[in-house]
Amino acid sequence: MDAGFVNAYLTAVQRVFKTMLGLDIVMGKPILKTSARSSGDVTGVIGFAGDKKGIFNLAFSTAGAIFVYKRIVAEDASSVTPDVVDAIGELTNIIWGQTRVEIEKVGYKLNAALPTVVVGQDVEINFITKLPVVSLPFTFQADGAQENLFLDFSFE
Amino acid sequence: MKTLVVDDFATMRKIVKNVLKQIDITNVSEAENGKQALEILRKDGDFELIVSDWIMPEMTGIEFLKACKDDESIKKIPFVMVTAEAQKDSVIEAIKNGVDNYIVKPFTPDKLQDAIHKALARVKNQ
Repeated sequence: MDAGFVNAYLTAVQRVFKTMLGLDIVMGKPILKTSARSSGDVTGVIGFAGDKKGIFNLAFSTAGAIFVYKRIVAEDASSVTPDVVDAIGELTNIIWGQTRVEIEKVGYKLNAALPTVVVGQDVEINFITKLPVVSLPFTFQADGAQENLFLDFSFE
Repeated sequence: MKTLVVDDFATMRKIVKNVLKQIDITNVSEAENGKQALEILRKDGDFELIVSDWIMPEMTGIEFLKACKDDESIKKIPFVMVTAEAQKDSVIEAIKNGVDNYIVKPFTPDKLQDAIHKALARVKNQ
């Protein structure tokens, strides 16, 4: 795995969180994902193709997804409503858009489909790939608590 | 100022509406794609601003832009494109097709407001 791809995702996530949510987000140590289970409760999914192909997942806890929704549209929510799902879908879309820009800088042109949002804990998500799936763990502060975000992707 | 916000994601429509509210634009209608937006514009011609997404089902932002600029009754309405398509080709295509301004997601409220003001000024000075 080229470190440039990890940097592309990192730059995109940090830029979008800072610009759209006014939040600093910190990345932990990347790991190779061995489980086919979702890394969170609300997961945005986008598949892509072009010079490379793969899948990009953005997985939030329930509390993290609700916090992001409240922050981004300035409206209240207490559960994962269709509006919260829509917000995670759009955020996935925006982060993917920024990632494409960063990946284009290292010479690859990619296209993507519309995002899907999977809601549920421990949902089986199978990446159809011959290469290992990389998981980038992030943390951010939400109403005084630390929330986790996982960005899982395949790239081949 | 009567404004049409076009985006398939309700979240982005809310974000744009919140930004418009900050500059006292509260008369806002919404559409989920270009096709629906065209129907609204052709039915009710007194809109003064369009803020549209690029990637949408049924009719994309660029198709919607071309349809607007081909229609005498709505071609003069200032058109701001909001897009995640930051690639150069996309922006050039929008400019060639007469977009009055564009902004790339992610954006701050200030940047969107600035893009709107510049689009309004551009059309006013034509």
